[in-house]
Amino acid sequence: MEIKQTAMAGTLESSDIQIVLSQGSNGIEFDLTSDVMKQFGDDIKQTIEDVLKAFKIDSAMVKVVDKGALTPVIKARAITACQRALDMKDQPQWEVL
Amino acid sequence: MSLLENVFAGGETVTLDSVLENREWRSNLQKQLEEKHPHDTILAIKLNIPGAIKNSPALKQLFTAGWRIFMARLSFWPVRYVKVLKDRVTGPEGFLVVAGPITEVKKEAIRFEQHFFLGRLFDIDVMAKNQDDYQLSRQALGFSPRTCLVCDENAKLCAQTQKHDLEELQTAVNDFYQEYFVKDPVIPAWDKKAVVNAALFAFLAEASTTPKPGLVDPASVGSHNDMDIFSFIDSSISLEGYFGSCFDAGREFHGSDLKALLLKIRPSGIRAEEAMFIATDGVNTHKGAIFTVGIFLAAYGYASRNYQDPSLSFVLDVVAQMGADLVAKELAQESVHDMTAGKKQYEEYRFTGVRGEVAGGLVPLEKVGLPELRRSSGDTNARLLNALMHLAANINDSTLIKRSKNPEIQKKMAEYSQKFFELGGADSDAGMAYLKELDEAFIKENLSIGGAADYLILTALVGRLTGLI
Repeated sequence: MEIKQTAMAGTLESSDIQIVLSQGSNGIEFDLTSDVMKQFGDDIKQTIEDVLKAFKIDSAMVKVVDKGALTPVIKARAITACQRALDMKDQPQWEVL
Repeated sequence: MSLLENVFAGGETVTLDSVLENREWRSNLQKQLEEKHPHDTILAIKLNIPGAIKNSPALKQLFTAGWRIFMARLSFWPVRYVKVLKDRVTGPEGFLVVAGPITEVKKEAIRFEQHFFLGRLFDIDVMAKNQDDYQLSRQALGFSPRTCLVCDENAKLCAQTQKHDLEELQTAVNDFYQEYFVKDPVIPAWDKKAVVNAALFAFLAEASTTPKPGLVDPASVGSHNDMDIFSFIDSSISLEGYFGSCFDAGREFHGSDLKALLLKIRPSGIRAEEAMFIATDGVNTHKGAIFTVGIFLAAYGYASRNYQDPSLSFVLDVVAQMGADLVAKELAQESVHDMTAGKKQYEEYRFTGVRGEVAGGLVPLEKVGLPELRRSSGDTNARLLNALMHLAANINDSTLIKRSKNPEIQKKMAEYSQKFFELGGADSDAGMAYLKELDEAFIKENLSIGGAADYLILTALVGRLTGLI
């Protein structure tokens, strides 16, 4: 599947993860920043890659800023990012102050 | 965890998706605040509650307690914006914009998280538009990372490795609630202004609560034809200075014989009665409450004199020590002059009245009024009515006895109260209808529960100081 638009999911709050998906040209490329890079960097990448595979995305630029998110959170954020990138889900309309 | 005291009781389950969506909502709101207030510091304050239930009546009480304390700590800086959302299913939270330097504000937040009794349950994010990092971290300021709810390890690592199961984490949250509000309530060491405001709130809250059987409230003068709600407003306002001097007397007291602290505030008490009579054109609106609240405030001032948060039982122990001579020496003394209702009843029935209550350490406040306020659901009026009716059934009310001229009236009062709670209390239509009937019946018989009303003021005062209301 082709990524139709750059999409973001998640926040930079602690215990969260922010994932930005955009069009790639060379398979799945990661740009990962994490507080727990050494211990969990590979796990985080693997979790996101599995979700991308499930959405049949085989080419994407994946920018990730992890703030210590747990695996279920990483998975949920990745799913939302894919849905938004593939136009399967509307971008959220937040209230304006 | 017993159902009654379970902090999660009455809470709604949320999904991971709704929690995650709420985070995006919050992050968006924060960005908007940064854009609107580019030179100020933005704060997002929320509870840190593991599991699927993130909000409940008890969790709201915990949030309110911490929010109030933190607001008082921030009063140093001008506040540009306040938004509190206590009812969100994803948990109570609030936002603030203050005109203070981000590092100083963050340090204040960390101090709160580390030192306030409930601080561990709070999560305060501090950010500013001109800040490179999205949110200023503890480590950036040289503080250690947050510790876990259960053990002393780094909270992030415990979460990442799932070291504790959910039940263990929820039990830890519940324990915070038990320790702060239930077992022996913790009263934060407030400054004078906050204490005076809490006392004034308590007096006005009691007067405003409606319908109270036989008592003055905004809808009725009850069985008191010589006063109305405005007498109570005037009377309350006239006591502001008195609250502060009792509190000061406690904070500044040195010595081991606490009876001397009572003697020290007595002249203020006499002046407070004078101020009340002047304000009400000579009507006694608050004589009992001047006595009990004044002593309570002095005791609390003393108990918190080193800015340590005292427990309620410690404050009440000071109250009892202050009042140790009240019954044996004063009430028992032969005195034909100045025959107050209390003294008269002591002569007739050996009831020790308000002096006995103080000497006994105001037990119904701790055992009846405050627990009922904590457990009651509904709005503030309903909660205060429930506390009042529970108190009325469990004390010897010298006003009620004086007016009925028969101590057996207390038994009847207990029956009225029981029926009220069987009907569902003040948070039900049937309970409220019954209360209105009772009010009319009391007015017809010229009855009033002034003693319970005094205890309701104390209950509202401690409720406000702890954050229950």
